[in-house]
Amino acid sequence: MILNYAKGPFIKNVPTIPSMMRDVIFTLSVLLIIPIVQYGVRPLVMAVCTMFVSVICEIIFNLIQGNKIGAGDGSSLVTGLMIVMLMPVNAPIWLPCMAAVFAVIVAKMPFGAFGHTPFNPAAAGVAFAALCYPHLVFRYIDSSAKNLPAFGDCTGDIVSSTAAVLKNGLKPSILPLDMLWGAFEGPLGTTGILIICAGGLYLFIKRTANWEITAAFLAAALIIAAFWPRIECSMITSVKYELLSGSLLFCSVFMVTDPVTSPRTKPAKIAYGFICGVLVMVFRRFGAFEQGACFALLIANALAPQIDVIFSGSFETGDVLYEK
Amino acid sequence: MKFRHGVQGVKLDQQKELSLKHKIKNLPMADELPLKPNFNLNGKKDYNYILNAAQKSQIVDEFDGIPLDKKLKKLRGLKPNMIVACCFDEDPWTTSAMAVLREYTAEVISGLEYAAKACGIKERKIAVATKEEAKFIKSINSEAELILAGDRYPARVLLKKKLYSQNIKAFYIGAQACLALDSAVKEGKVQQDTVVTVAGRGVERWSNVKVPLGTELKTVLKFCGVSDKTKMIITGSSLTGKAVLDLTEPVTPSTRCIIAIKKAKKDISYPCIGCEKCASACVRSIVPWKILKVMKNKKPDPLMLTNVQKCIGCQACSVVCPSGIDLAEVVKKAADLKKSGDFE
Ligand code: SF4
Ligand code: SF4
Repeated sequence: MILNYAKGPFIKNVPTIPSMMRDVIFTLSVLLIIPIVQYGVRPLVMAVCTMFVSVICEIIFNLIQGNKIGAGDGSSLVTGLMIVMLMPVNAPIWLPCMAAVFAVIVAKMPFGAFGHTPFNPAAAGVAFAALCYPHLVFRYIDSSAKNLPAFGDCTGDIVSSTAAVLKNGLKPSILPLDMLWGAFEGPLGTTGILIICAGGLYLFIKRTANWEITAAFLAAALIIAAFWPRIECSMITSVKYELLSGSLLFCSVFMVTDPVTSPRTKPAKIAYGFICGVLVMVFRRFGAFEQGACFALLIANALAPQIDVIFSGSFETGDVLYEK
Repeated sequence: MKFRHGVQGVKLDQQKELSLKHKIKNLPMADELPLKPNFNLNGKKDYNYILNAAQKSQIVDEFDGIPLDKKLKKLRGLKPNMIVACCFDEDPWTTSAMAVLREYTAEVISGLEYAAKACGIKERKIAVATKEEAKFIKSINSEAELILAGDRYPARVLLKKKLYSQNIKAFYIGAQACLALDSAVKEGKVQQDTVVTVAGRGVERWSNVKVPLGTELKTVLKFCGVSDKTKMIITGSSLTGKAVLDLTEPVTPSTRCIIAIKKAKKDISYPCIGCEKCASACVRSIVPWKILKVMKNKKPDPLMLTNVQKCIGCQACSVVCPSGIDLAEVVKKAADLKKSGDFE
């Protein structure tokens, strides 16, 4: 028996960073199932390529900087996978890859990699792609298309996504059941409403993600959708289409909850979620694009440190008495 | 003002069932250990008698390693208004205090009574972790007056804070010290043995063992079937304890548990992601991640190191940190820096 020395603590509480990353990658992969069933292998190919590119970018950056090639915290994989989820299935493969390159090389590594990023890298990548190639990022193929080619261009009817219909002030017509299972047009991983909810629940229960932010985000979106609808319809219908279309729900579960870019104290987190929710709705209404979640998130990211100061600074000055 | 969080401390994954399944086992005394003879005391069982007995029996409190007679003497001056026997195990692997209370309930109660008498305290309480445990102990002995310490780590500090907020100045004594005091006063016995929990993946039979003091760790481990693949042996606690390299070390009253671990600890840490878990775990109102940030500066500003001098080294912050940062160490360094006054 050879004994080792180590310093305490000798036990570890979950979650740890690798377990959090595993959880997120797992839930995101589950989201891929419906698109794969629907469209063939193309979503899988996209995901694998993008993840590969983001990891390669991280390694190259580390090599240039002379850093040790990281122990692999898996955050690049998450970034890559998230970007794919926010792209339409008929986007050319290079589009998510390029977004991933931007995310890793510009939005992540220069700031000191994982744990130091002021902006959510995936949101930055998608925002970049949306600004450069709006005609590719917001171009959706009809959801009844089957067996898309794995690599090449997709041919098929190009239709407007639910979010675009809303943007034009019209009422989308989707059966409620189709809506829940994701049989409608929208970014690849954001239409499987039921699976996103289940995944969110899983992450909240495992304490990988903070439910407070998501709740505040959805509450803000819900209030705005209910009281200031963009289309002529009942309150419920407006709420249904606003919350379930586009990337809103996906962002609320996977992107705003990112602990690195969100504020730290609980009240600040709630305020952050709320602000983010309001911003998304503002972007949807007044923005140039049909979806504004990524842009809204980036602005909220920039505000996060200030929100933190406002909420923690005034309540905690000096020593807190032990007895209280 | 406390705005930040309601619950403090950490809920740890408990590993208690296996070692609580069986009764306490007796490890036979090794031949080379000297048998300490009983002592004789005459007179009424009053304050002096109990103190003498505590001194003669060489009882050591298992929680802090302080001789009991010293503790009792000091207390008489401090005049607390409650004495609490700690019969909960903060450590998720240890069950020795609970096992002792379960099997020697009457003795622990009477030992606590003696201790209370020795320092002139009326109110006595036995602290257990959960409601279920309390119910169970009540069913064994309805005389036990119980309070709950809760199942969050560090339970002892949390209990202290709870009592303090009710304006109760309490004093804490270990379950095994109570037991030993009882047999010292009643039978004039010198403290000969202590109950330790042997647990961890590296041992076959997780159990509580009554070990003669001074027995070598390796004898105890062998008794419980230690595996050859064990990579690390820890005594004291799985959070704040120490890794042992020399298995001929003797068992002392403050050993409390011996944990054999098969997987060596990996020291991988990631950058802080700002999840705030460390701050809500800390029972001393320290915000470890802020301390970490300040300490990363070349010249840390001591004014920004809020509360660090209050750290009790409980390791709760290090345990919850998903990034695996050794925050307790950072806070300790900060406290040392603040104390040294070497700021320029
Ligand atoms: S070790 Fe110190 S800083 Fe960490 S939780 Fe315990 S008291 Fe707080
Ligand atoms: S628990 Fe660790 S990762 Fe979370 S805020 Fe504290 S130091 Fe940072």
